[in-house]
Amino acid sequence: MMSIFRSRRQEPPAMTLEGMLGPNGRLDDAAGMCVDAPDALCVNADGRLLVSSGTRVMALGAWGEEPLVWASFDAPVTALCHGGGLVAVGLAGGSLAVLDATGRPHDGWSLPAGSVASVVDCAFRSQDEILLVDCGYGADANVLSQAAWDEEPRGQLIALRRSGQPSVVAAGLHCPMGVALDAKGSALVSLLERARIVDPSGRSLQSGYPGYLGRLRRTGNGYVLACLSRRNPLIEFLKTERAFVAEMKAKIAPRHWIAPRASPEFSHDFPIELGATRLFGEIKPWAPSFSYGLLIEMDESLMPVGSAQSRANGRRHAICDATVWNGALIAVSRASGEILKVGEAA
Amino acid sequence: MAVDIDFPSLPKQRVPRFVLSPRRILADVLSKGWVESLIPFVALLCVVAGVLATTNGYFEGSNLRNLAQYAADGGLVVLALLVVVAVGGIDLSVGSNFAMSAFVALFCFHILQLPVPAVLLASLLAGATIGAVNGFIAGLLGCGALLTTLGTMITTRGLYTLASQAQLVEISSSARIDDLWDWIGFEKVLTLPVGFWALAVVAVLVLIMFRQTRIGWHILAVGGNRKAARHGGIRVKSTIFFAYVLAGVIVGLSGFLFAARQNSVGSDTGIGMEFFVLTALVVGLGGFVPGRGAVVSVLIGFATIYILNNAMINAGFRGDFVQLSMGAIIVVILAIDVKFRKNRHRLLASTYLDPVSFDAGTVEGMRGLMPDETAPKLKDARILASGRVDGPEDVLLDAAGNLYCGTRDGYLYRLNAPDHAEAEVLAKIGGRPLGLALDREGRIVACVAGMGLVRVTMDGQVELLTDQTERSLLSVQDDTTIRMADDLDIGPDGTIYFTDATKRYDIENWGLDLLEGRPNGRLLSYDPATRRTRTVCDNLVFPNGVCLAHDGKHLLVASTWDCSILIFDLARLSDGPRVLLSGLPGYPDNINRASDGGYWVALAGMRNPVFDEAMRHPGVRRRMTRHVPPTNWLFGNLNIGGVLKVDGAGKVVDAFWDAPDGPLYMITSMREHEGELYLGGVTNDKIGCLKLDKADPTWRGPESYWGGRS
Repeated sequence: MMSIFRSRRQEPPAMTLEGMLGPNGRLDDAAGMCVDAPDALCVNADGRLLVSSGTRVMALGAWGEEPLVWASFDAPVTALCHGGGLVAVGLAGGSLAVLDATGRPHDGWSLPAGSVASVVDCAFRSQDEILLVDCGYGADANVLSQAAWDEEPRGQLIALRRSGQPSVVAAGLHCPMGVALDAKGSALVSLLERARIVDPSGRSLQSGYPGYLGRLRRTGNGYVLACLSRRNPLIEFLKTERAFVAEMKAKIAPRHWIAPRASPEFSHDFPIELGATRLFGEIKPWAPSFSYGLLIEMDESLMPVGSAQSRANGRRHAICDATVWNGALIAVSRASGEILKVGEAA
Repeated sequence: MAVDIDFPSLPKQRVPRFVLSPRRILADVLSKGWVESLIPFVALLCVVAGVLATTNGYFEGSNLRNLAQYAADGGLVVLALLVVVAVGGIDLSVGSNFAMSAFVALFCFHILQLPVPAVLLASLLAGATIGAVNGFIAGLLGCGALLTTLGTMITTRGLYTLASQAQLVEISSSARIDDLWDWIGFEKVLTLPVGFWALAVVAVLVLIMFRQTRIGWHILAVGGNRKAARHGGIRVKSTIFFAYVLAGVIVGLSGFLFAARQNSVGSDTGIGMEFFVLTALVVGLGGFVPGRGAVVSVLIGFATIYILNNAMINAGFRGDFVQLSMGAIIVVILAIDVKFRKNRHRLLASTYLDPVSFDAGTVEGMRGLMPDETAPKLKDARILASGRVDGPEDVLLDAAGNLYCGTRDGYLYRLNAPDHAEAEVLAKIGGRPLGLALDREGRIVACVAGMGLVRVTMDGQVELLTDQTERSLLSVQDDTTIRMADDLDIGPDGTIYFTDATKRYDIENWGLDLLEGRPNGRLLSYDPATRRTRTVCDNLVFPNGVCLAHDGKHLLVASTWDCSILIFDLARLSDGPRVLLSGLPGYPDNINRASDGGYWVALAGMRNPVFDEAMRHPGVRRRMTRHVPPTNWLFGNLNIGGVLKVDGAGKVVDAFWDAPDGPLYMITSMREHEGELYLGGVTNDKIGCLKLDKADPTWRGPESYWGGRS
């Protein structure tokens, strides 16, 4: 009965790539450095940039220098963060390593095996406490393909104290991908598929971003948000076509699903959208695409104030992390396997 | 060399006789011109039903005859007004003109004692004179039609009043009796009054004028767009003048009929008539629509108003109440009509696409040949004329090795042997040239989307061979026009076999045909000897490439969305097609002969599991086209294609792909010539040339058809 009187609150319309987010080629124009399988970034206490590269973490003294191996692990690195002189490294399979500034293991941190499916991002709350983001999917799952077609909120935000047990700060998050602390020290979590930033209680702080959200990072006067791809009207429409999606999931390998993609590669067995048909062999920059490069700069209230993009014809797609290093905004493109110096940080 | 084709042992391809779908019928009906008058017609039916329900015997013969007797003068005036409105004007003077003509008829008959034909002539002249005054001021001088005819309305009324007051007593006391006069006024022919027949004849004449005659078309053109009509060479002013005069003549006839029937006029004759007929016209046309000579519509509108008015007065309602209700009913009819007209195109757009579940089967016979399983052989191809040809859908080589291709902007280009570096215009055709073939005389026959079948001589003379075929019996839509002639080949007897890939979409929207997945295409033949076009096989699924088999007795036709190649026996075309090859990994486009007795098949795009699945869900595709912007529609992957080599028996023996980001990413046509394979793509701007390892270096396409060495 009450439902009749309850006002039906409409979601604010999703942002489009217009206005502040108007198309540009900043990612394509940015200087780039090739790194093998990069994923996460952070700045170490000694001022060097740490970049994950497969199972290793590389350290970069200055832009353009040859990166040096800083630490090596058995499993691929899935998250990096720095705080209070410590560096936390999330590893595929849901384990965590905490190192000091020189790369030596730091004692007392233990994440019991099996307690999380993955660690896709982390942030030190203090020298003794770290927040871990568990997206809910294991390392071998193609999160980008699956998240759009999976309604189950299996992600969580975990707090781990030194010499303590992990505790769940927030559960039932739908595919969280990044965590950042605001000026007051409370956590902000970016949700990949729901395209919104929430606080640990699940309350939406800002929604309707035009992308599939990756990691969220604090800059001097706001945030940057790495987006793994952009929203696609076809995918949004197919969410209403349950029978079709169920058959697609049952019959077809996730690689071939209609879903956001991390790479702009051509393949004969991928679906395309009508507008993506090549003319004279060229992809039009404004063509629809399942992969995209998008880095959103935001103010303190999480409103976009600018963006850096690599459009449909670019190759620096799937921006998965970003940070400010020596006054410059550095981003990671998973598709092109590069770290990019996007420009001076705001 | 060539393998015999075992036609009878191949599986039959089921071809539907007709496509029956409620949504399609609705869409086709909505796209008909006569749907414009649907709402007035429904309104008429409602009025008739209402009268039937509330009265007894209204539609009995005697009353209908009575109605017909009095309908003639109003109906004629509505037609007169239609002529003026069609030319973009308006005539308020019809009521005064009507009264004046009736007076002139009575004056000539009773006072001047003229014979009846002369009386008729005088009435028509009187009407024409007033029309000519209107036409002179409004048309030739260019004054506003409203002001002009308002002026003539008042002036004529004044003249009429003066004249009728002076002569009325004499007219009414005249004792002249004339058989012809009474016959016109009171007699019935085939149970209907003479006046009604006059209305019917004039209606047919006006209809023929608007449909068939030059002046009728000029009137519509001037009304539709005066400026465009002037640019088109139409003498606008004299056309408007003529329209007013014609309207005046029709009103004169109406006045004559009235005079013959009533034998008198009164001071109120024709008063209010202009508003009555204007209302009828507006109801019939759905507003003031210049440039539309819808005779039937306005007569329907007139009948609606006339019966409504008559029935209400008969029922004994007070006059002011009748006017009030009439006004309200007309406003309702017009409101519905305007809404319908506004949304008709939207309704049509949302019903036109009519997807059906479609399954092209699994990919077969491609083990080890898929793009990710073999080296990209097209990587070794030379690139010719890069950036000089926009969309060479088909490439063609003559015996001398000169290469020909059509482009997106409607040109046919020649790239001269031996280096094929420069593209020069052979002919400007227009349309979108697609498939090409050389005939026995060395002329190029081209399929041109949007035009039909075209023949081009080597000195650039263009001749349209055909653009229409027989209309299929069971279709609402007129499908005689060839919308998307796609590819052709020429039989040994000179008959040209060509495909009309889709009857329902134009070249700009051919992609919708894929989303629809219905058999919308057809195979046609054109016999140059008799110049006759025939439909060989209707209801094929996007028939595309056509190739005469090496034996000259069979015809290969690619069915693009079906991912199969059909084969026809030329001796028994009516038996229908059989399947030579199915389960292709992509969408076959053109097919051409290979030197070793096999065939080359171009793949314009590739299938993928998700799209194949979507083809099995028609509802998903239909809703997608409604809710998703076209650029985001899920579609077949036309970004990657290649060439398949098929042996003479229809087995895929080799596949040629380019690297995924290579220049020859999609192929719609290929021709073998002296050991090299020339490749074109409909979305590409270059032509590829690949040296073949195991091909006959002396083989040339035209000689394989017509023999001899030139």
